[in-house]
Amino acid sequence: MGLKEYIGRRTLQGITTILLAIILNFILFRIMPGDPTRVLIGDPRVETGTRLALIEKFGLERPLLEQFILYISNLFSGELGVSFAQMGRPVIEIILGRKMVNTLVLMGSSMSIAFLLGILLGVIAAWKRGTKADISFIIFSLATYSMPVFWFGMILLLVFSVYFNVFPIAGTITPGVTHPNFLAYASDYLHHLMAPMLTLAVSFFGGYFLFMRDTILDVFTEDYMLTARAKGPMVSLMGVHVTFLISGATMTETVFSWDGLGRLIYDSVRTADYPVLQGIFLIMSILVVVASILADITNAFLDPRIKEAVD
Amino acid sequence: MTQDSHVTTGSLLRERLDVQVRRLKGFWSFYRGSRIGMLGLFIIIGFIIVAIVAPLITPYDPRALVGTPFQPPMGEHPLGTDQVGRDIYSQLIWGSRVSLMVGLLASAFGVAIGTVIGLVSGYFRGPPDSILMRITDLFITLPGLPMMLILAALLGRSMWNIIFVIAITGWTGTAKMVRSQTLSIKERPYVEAARSVGARDRHIIMRHILPNVFPLVFANAIVGIVDAILAESGLSFLGLGDPTKPSWGQLLRYANEAGALATGRWWFIIPPGLCIMLVAIGFAFSSYSLDQILNPRLRKRRW
Repeated sequence: MGLKEYIGRRTLQGITTILLAIILNFILFRIMPGDPTRVLIGDPRVETGTRLALIEKFGLERPLLEQFILYISNLFSGELGVSFAQMGRPVIEIILGRKMVNTLVLMGSSMSIAFLLGILLGVIAAWKRGTKADISFIIFSLATYSMPVFWFGMILLLVFSVYFNVFPIAGTITPGVTHPNFLAYASDYLHHLMAPMLTLAVSFFGGYFLFMRDTILDVFTEDYMLTARAKGPMVSLMGVHVTFLISGATMTETVFSWDGLGRLIYDSVRTADYPVLQGIFLIMSILVVVASILADITNAFLDPRIKEAVD
Repeated sequence: MTQDSHVTTGSLLRERLDVQVRRLKGFWSFYRGSRIGMLGLFIIIGFIIVAIVAPLITPYDPRALVGTPFQPPMGEHPLGTDQVGRDIYSQLIWGSRVSLMVGLLASAFGVAIGTVIGLVSGYFRGPPDSILMRITDLFITLPGLPMMLILAALLGRSMWNIIFVIAITGWTGTAKMVRSQTLSIKERPYVEAARSVGARDRHIIMRHILPNVFPLVFANAIVGIVDAILAESGLSFLGLGDPTKPSWGQLLRYANEAGALATGRWWFIIPPGLCIMLVAIGFAFSSYSLDQILNPRLRKRRW
């Protein structure tokens, strides 16, 4: 199977998965107990005019199949409904904006740190396997894996924000401050980023480390060339890990009041803001599918044997 | 004649049992050699004992208002009281029950779903395989915690819903692994032989395939417990836990709501998290050692 064919096939699988996610997303919010549809129609926070327009737009009083077709066609024109909690603001506008940027910055930076440290220490541990250093690394990484992310965040806040006062306690920038220039803004932002980034990085380090160490040991025992083979699995691992990252980010953002999508999920669950939840859910599924396809393709590119192993 | 065949069946059964016992003994001697594994096992047993004797070692009903709110750790309340005057220490001890129960059951259900899907998919191939694998891909793709949050919010707050939500989002790894194992075991000579003498699919799956995938399924279940315990604590922390049962995640939620952070009340924050971490470490250590023993690829090397 050629690389092009593999990419084509993988993309097709990805599209199927996204379509299934869309269907599930639709079903989840209309058939589940608690009847979100009734919530959608009857929520008192939405003005009568807007509500009637919504009922019309999503065909909420028509048969389910028609609703589904309308839902799909609305989806393709970028219409995801309006938020209950935020005075009828369009969902798409809430999701694709500052919050998304904040989440991507937090996820990207912490993942990079965890990834680099995981590789570095994984190689060292594999190199010195069986020594005290190796065993302490293993125990440390198992311990960080077993730690509730949100609790580690709370401990960091307790120590560094409450006792020593070196990190700010919440938010993405200091409230009420007008920054004279971009540099001042950026440094304030970074200052706020430190603790949540550290939290998320520590929680992801363990997985990367153990995986890297294992892969390298495999390579040792099989007498393979070291780096070339190890690169592949790491990339594919990153693709799958996007879902874990989202989970970790949700907890971390909630603890640190980081103004991102994770925090938005929590707020929306609390305020029963179903349209927003549905929107985030969809966008995240697409994000994960795209990430895992990209990872698989990179993988196949790095190691031609992989695409033969996929059936 | 009947007597004879009875004896044969009996001795056959005994032999089979002997094989299992010998296997188990061999496994135990491996496991006992792993310090990390033994430490993990001791931690787990410790928490199970605490969970069982919880009523005997707690001075108060964990849900009763037994003191003035916000007491610091003192004689009567070794870890103080929360914002409505419940004893934190009693809640902590009782919390072990929810954590272990949800961890064990959610992981068991998740692994059971994954095993069935993996077996069917790998053994029968064809259309069922394609369909089941697309479904598996879908569940791998769904963002874990957001999905759990939405489901838990829609289903309502109860312990069984939490267990269901964790199980339904956590079976994919097992399914993929069991499927690939099944694919390779199916090609082994003795399975071919069984098929050629006319053994039925059910028989082959139960007799030849399941026993061979079981060790890895078991190892997967242990990792699943770690994930389930962490997921339960997270859901409870976010306010989706069972309000009628004290749990560690919920205790941390109370701490957060009561502003324990800003006021530096460490006794409200550190113990519950430490308990979650310890019990999770117990299972993580065990699973690490199991992996070293059960994974033939790893067994050859010492570390």
